[in-house]
Amino acid sequence: MPLISSKFKILWRRNVKRNLSVLLSLLVLMSLVLAACGTPEAPATEAPATEAPATEAPATEAPAEPTAIPKVPIATFDGTTLGVPDCDYGGFFKSIEATDQYTVTFNMCKSDPAFLSKIAFSPFAIYPSEWIEATAGETTRTSDGLEKPVGTGPYMVSEWNRGESLTFTAFPDYWGEPPAAETLVFRWSSESAARLLELQAGTIDGFDNVGPEDFATIEGDPNLHLQIRPALNVFYIGMTNSYPPFDNVKVRLAVAQGIDRQRIVDTFYPEGSEVASHFTPCAIPNACVGDPWYDFDPDAAKALLAEAGFPDGFSTKLYYRDVVRGYLPQVGNVAQDIQAQLKENLNIDAEIVVMESGAFIEASGSGQLDGFHLLGWGADYPHITNFLDYHFGEAQQQFGTPYPEIYEQLVAGGQIGLPEDAEQYYVAANNAIRELAPLVPVAHGASAAAYRADVETPQASPLTTELFAFSDPGGRDTFVWMQNAEPISLFCADDTDGETLRACEQVTQALYGFVVNDSATEPHLAESCTPNEDSTVWVCKLRQGVKFHDGTDFDSADVLATFNMGLNPGSPTHKGNTNLWEYYSTLWGLMEK
Amino acid sequence: MMIQYMIRRILSSIPVLLGILLVTFALARLIPGDPCRAILGEKATQEVCDRFIREKGLDKPIHIQFGIYLSEMARGDFGESIRYGMPVTRLLVERLPMTVELSFSALIVSIIIGIPLGVISAVRHNSWVDVTTMVWANTGVSMPVFWLGLMLAYVFSLLLKDTPFWLPPSGRVSPGIPNDPFYEVWGLTLPAEGFLLAMFQFLSRLHILNSLLTANWELLKDSTTHLILPALALGTIPMALIARMARSAMLDVLGQDYIRTARAKGLKRSAVIYKHAFRNSLLPLVTVIGLSLGGLLGGAVLTETIFGLSGVGRTLYDAITARDYGIVQAFTVVIAFFFVALNLIVDVSYAYLDPRIRLT
Repeated sequence: MPLISSKFKILWRRNVKRNLSVLLSLLVLMSLVLAACGTPEAPATEAPATEAPATEAPATEAPAEPTAIPKVPIATFDGTTLGVPDCDYGGFFKSIEATDQYTVTFNMCKSDPAFLSKIAFSPFAIYPSEWIEATAGETTRTSDGLEKPVGTGPYMVSEWNRGESLTFTAFPDYWGEPPAAETLVFRWSSESAARLLELQAGTIDGFDNVGPEDFATIEGDPNLHLQIRPALNVFYIGMTNSYPPFDNVKVRLAVAQGIDRQRIVDTFYPEGSEVASHFTPCAIPNACVGDPWYDFDPDAAKALLAEAGFPDGFSTKLYYRDVVRGYLPQVGNVAQDIQAQLKENLNIDAEIVVMESGAFIEASGSGQLDGFHLLGWGADYPHITNFLDYHFGEAQQQFGTPYPEIYEQLVAGGQIGLPEDAEQYYVAANNAIRELAPLVPVAHGASAAAYRADVETPQASPLTTELFAFSDPGGRDTFVWMQNAEPISLFCADDTDGETLRACEQVTQALYGFVVNDSATEPHLAESCTPNEDSTVWVCKLRQGVKFHDGTDFDSADVLATFNMGLNPGSPTHKGNTNLWEYYSTLWGLMEK
Repeated sequence: MMIQYMIRRILSSIPVLLGILLVTFALARLIPGDPCRAILGEKATQEVCDRFIREKGLDKPIHIQFGIYLSEMARGDFGESIRYGMPVTRLLVERLPMTVELSFSALIVSIIIGIPLGVISAVRHNSWVDVTTMVWANTGVSMPVFWLGLMLAYVFSLLLKDTPFWLPPSGRVSPGIPNDPFYEVWGLTLPAEGFLLAMFQFLSRLHILNSLLTANWELLKDSTTHLILPALALGTIPMALIARMARSAMLDVLGQDYIRTARAKGLKRSAVIYKHAFRNSLLPLVTVIGLSLGGLLGGAVLTETIFGLSGVGRTLYDAITARDYGIVQAFTVVIAFFFVALNLIVDVSYAYLDPRIRLT
């Protein structure tokens, strides 16, 4: 009897278990079916459509959260003028006018000496007005708009085999010199070793971002060529003056002289990198006016530290994030070397603290780090304001209380269009940075591209705007370029990804562009853009006889339609990929408030 | 009985997949760092990030996001990629064929080489053939895929350059090779969107299949040569595992009484080995092969990275670093689905391989 009972129990348990699991599965299945049949109030993917993006959102609509109130569009556009009623919205443009078929006038709310450097940036490339309207989808740009851009550039998109390659063909009606190669192919691989193998195997003509360990291999191979990219970045050691002992200028100056920066560059940076003589890289006008940074002098540094009241040094922290950038290629090693130098030269005990990247950027940007912090900056556009104003402007908190000795000079210099006229202010600003030492500029880190030796005009643009129409792949019909990653889309007005922008640059053109292998600007779709005396009005004369890839003619209406699309959130053409329009928003300011 | 068993197994896999979805959903959001700056870069302003969060629906409470996601998934909508701004289903259709081709090729390589090696080792037990094979198998198991991939590319693309043995170092298909989908070549009219189109697109992106269906021999040659090195690199570890498993299973079977009986009856050596022993040693191999395929489908990140292939593993890795929740969730569920389905197939195949096994 007990045997039968235990057998029964086992059977019962097994059946119950099985049935329970089936029952549970059926319940889940039913709930999923019910969920599928129900109409959710606001599915995540449809939210932008039903809520209306910031562009068309009425002010009365309930915001999703109190901190992010959607703004209201304020621009008016009649086809020839795009304008805002006043400049309270905080952006740069008061109005943009098509003065005639080949003249566009930009009326600014405030002086913008960096106008040409910014307007040359590829997100501000000009599209045909008809195409802009035709490819504006309901919530985003249509797939044609995202994948088959129409521009005025030397190449047209021929085929994008997603995940594999992107092929361009020469545009027969291009207004400039026809491209050296009839076909251009973009491929991608995230590993520099794999990219190098492709180049050595002869299956590609060039690739970007050579691994620092491969510089010597490429230079030693007669079939290859290493093209160093001039550094347009800076790595620095920051100090926040709202925390002791960094509130004492002598402490900061002691650190400024107590770090052997040459040793860091020699040990950890690739060829072509240089010790920073000033905060801004010297390729940028007015960057290196004023006195150069202090020489390494540990004795003077120790004396300064003693004068500041710390003859035996002090203890602090050394914050960084473990993220590799062109300005800091070996993060951990550099941090350890700086830690060692601080101890060796100044008897400062700096405890290393590695932070998550986002938290580090937030804490450093708001001046909340109480020790040293290791950070850097890469140029968005090649103008001194992009370096100095973003770090030492009146509103910047990164180094604690802003220094009026610096920002007052920046305000004065920022009103002047011609670099030579602004030089005196930047001399004063650079000298003030040196004397107040809110940071120690350490290095400008170089990177490089590699090519087959027979490629003529190999390029490694400081702004990564390589234009392959100028590079002849040794007489071959096809130029094959390999970069780190696949483009995200080919609609670059609403994108920020560098690999994406480079692909767009072969197809679309802005009013200005950058000189090959240089950060200087040159006219592209404009013949000239000239400012008035205080850089508040810029008049651009457009190039005539230029055709778009769809056969339409380029004129001022296209410029207006493009800026209306990018700047005016109220326009039905303000449809992108992410719908964030980050560069339009950050560099010019969207017309909304 | 079998059908009942399969239905029960399919039903019971739903809570498993749901559990995986829940865990993935929670884990993806526990990764430090916000998706805005991971995708738009560290210089993205707070204003831009606020708009980003609003546009992508990330401002809603987590449980609401999960509910919305579940209801969308139940309707066959995997949501949208934050980074690419396109439906995840489209990305799956683009990326999955690459991984499927690579995984199956790697598995075929590992079976074709691994099983004969294991059988030969077992038959020649303790001979130099056995020792050499097993040393090789142990080396294969411990070989880092990253290093092996680079070495293979170095040998076949550089050292054997300008020889008939040259193989392309990376990529899936050479640019310029005509690659028209079979449904276009056949002149089929498909709906502009929907499941049918996605299915056909998926199949047409299986390059070897597409080239056979369209009799495109140039594409067949090119896509096959591109697949050899990654398949070898990816297949080495499963190949070594299969060889070891085949050897031990064969040794086990060869020691059984019925093998001795078969030999005593005067059967040919080859008949004893291949008809009597080999088939009976397949059972444990099926488990290893099934699980290996599951692992290959989800774990080819390094191989895909080295050979510049945009497959599921690589896309999933990029999505994790970019906090692209839509891709992370959908791709993980798809990989989990493959595992569940493969487990089921393995279990069902037991019944065919060994009639004594009854599935209940």
